[in-house]
Amino acid sequence: MHGIDWVDAGLSALKIAIVLGAMLNVTPIMVWVERRGSALIQDRPGPNRVGPFGLFQSFADALKFVLKEDMLPEKANKVLYTIAPMFGLIPALTTIAVVPWGRPFTLPGGRLFEPIIANVNIGILLIFALASMGVYGIVMAGWASANKYSLFGGIRASAQMISYELALTLAAVSALMVAGSLSLTDVVWRQTGSFVLFNVIKLPAWNIFSPAMWMAFIVFFVSGFAETNRLPFDFAEAEAELVAGYHTEYSSMKFALFFMSEYMAMATMSALVATLFFGGWDIPWYNEPATWVGFALSVLSFVAKVAAILFVFVWVRWTIPRLKYDLLMKLGWKVFLPMAVINIVIVAWFIARGWI
Amino acid sequence: MAQFVPFAVFFFFAAVAVIFAAAVVLHRNPVVGALSLVASFFALAVMYVLLEAPFLAALQVIVYAGAIMVLFLFVIMLLNLQHQEEPRTRPVQQFLGYTSSAAFGLALIYYLAKFGVTQLPDGPFVSDARTVGIKMFESYIFPFEMVSILLLAAIVGALLLSGRTGTSVLPAPSTATLDDQDTRPALHSEVESR
Amino acid sequence: MIPTHWFLILSAILFTIGVCGVLTRKNGITIFMCIELMVNAVNLTFVAYARQFHQVHGLLFVFFVMAIAAAEAAVGLAIFISLFHQRHTIDVDEANLMRW
Repeated sequence: MHGIDWVDAGLSALKIAIVLGAMLNVTPIMVWVERRGSALIQDRPGPNRVGPFGLFQSFADALKFVLKEDMLPEKANKVLYTIAPMFGLIPALTTIAVVPWGRPFTLPGGRLFEPIIANVNIGILLIFALASMGVYGIVMAGWASANKYSLFGGIRASAQMISYELALTLAAVSALMVAGSLSLTDVVWRQTGSFVLFNVIKLPAWNIFSPAMWMAFIVFFVSGFAETNRLPFDFAEAEAELVAGYHTEYSSMKFALFFMSEYMAMATMSALVATLFFGGWDIPWYNEPATWVGFALSVLSFVAKVAAILFVFVWVRWTIPRLKYDLLMKLGWKVFLPMAVINIVIVAWFIARGWI
Repeated sequence: MAQFVPFAVFFFFAAVAVIFAAAVVLHRNPVVGALSLVASFFALAVMYVLLEAPFLAALQVIVYAGAIMVLFLFVIMLLNLQHQEEPRTRPVQQFLGYTSSAAFGLALIYYLAKFGVTQLPDGPFVSDARTVGIKMFESYIFPFEMVSILLLAAIVGALLLSGRTGTSVLPAPSTATLDDQDTRPALHSEVESR
Repeated sequence: MIPTHWFLILSAILFTIGVCGVLTRKNGITIFMCIELMVNAVNLTFVAYARQFHQVHGLLFVFFVMAIAAAEAAVGLAIFISLFHQRHTIDVDEANLMRW
């Protein structure tokens, strides 16, 4: 058998380190953005005492979480109660592995550096598979806490996940049909370059600008809010109705883990939206060279897109109130599911006519 | 050394699959049983990867672990079943059940081991989404359409069966939909368990 | 390469566990989960033979089995919900209306 390619292993470790470092830093940054953003929207200063512009507030919060007492409810199922926060974190951390985050370029030794941890040919299926495991963290936490509010949070989360995963997957199918592949690398490559719409305007060949795809984008983006349990779909924790939902009984670092997994899931979802509909690392109207310059620029472009979508997440949270529960279900089953299916038909028609 | 890795993975996940499957049968609490079954299904997905069918492994996790088992958990928690004591099975039935299934299993394993095929064909097994999809829509298009009709029938049947209509077999013509039926039994059983 | 009959033996063990659960348990949903376990054991056999003979047909059968298992889960759980509404239990011994 062949030996281990140490350079390859080193590059993989480097990629994992970069992505993991970015993902772990998403939480403190996003907490700060969320608090300052909400203050901006509600016309108040927000946290501004710890460090410049309150930038170190998140680290102070993290320190507080570590120092707090870790409570264990008496009637809780101890094993499930303890592993539930970890279960929430695993899908949030693993799904990012198949998302490409920059243009591949040739290293000095003639080796191709692909900025993606695992370039598997079932990429998007792997994301959906792992993301669907994320609901177990919430359901387990809700059930194991032996608290009625937590249980309701868990029940709601499970119903919501089943409903919106369908719409999410079907909306992604449209983007995959255009690329003709399940691999996210191919999806991004398909979106590089530009096209001329109606002989008038030259647009980047991103899926969002395609006349056939805007419905899929709406379905995917809104279902993404439901999938990551963000307002206006945060029924699992609905603080006005269920105290704090599934994490009512959690404290200290276990609670912090739920917090982290929520923001990491948000970051992954933003990366997915950017990859499927906004051309991933593609820079509009610019042909990136296959060198480290092109790589660096494409990474910056990808990060900028993800950051913009993350800000939309925050913006929506502080703008749109929570839906009623039956409205959530009706929206998922009667609006988004048919929309996603219709969009698949439209895209198939476009492909059959040779327009895409 | 690298060629032993698949064997180690196989044995680890085979053990996970068997242990958690046994937990489904032996644990009295249906919620723990359902979560164990999820772990078992996940281990089976790893088996599919070892069998060079990663596409099917992803489907296994999405469909079984991600959808069907969430539905099971939803129903168990909705009916609040964890507070219901399951009556003990009669010892005779238990004895007969264990011995007969053990005999059945031993017979199965005996014959599998006796007539086991060990020679694998050469070349890689191509089982990516493209191959499976082309085969599906060329050779199996009729069963595929039948399955879609079956799923539609299942949706209608499930809606009809779970409607809360008292004793009548057919539900009254109401505008009730899945969502507003589903919240009521939870409250109902909630009150009863207090 | 892992021999095919190891997978078959694992599948046999899982199937046996499922049979055992169906025979000894009374909780309807647990019985149902054991049936799902048996279905999955059969799926493993299909995939193992698919690799053994390099035939995609085995994988397609697994696909159909998954679809049918999903339909079965939906209808079966609906039956248990309506049984629970009528009898306030899902003990399968209590559902004896049609018993001779």
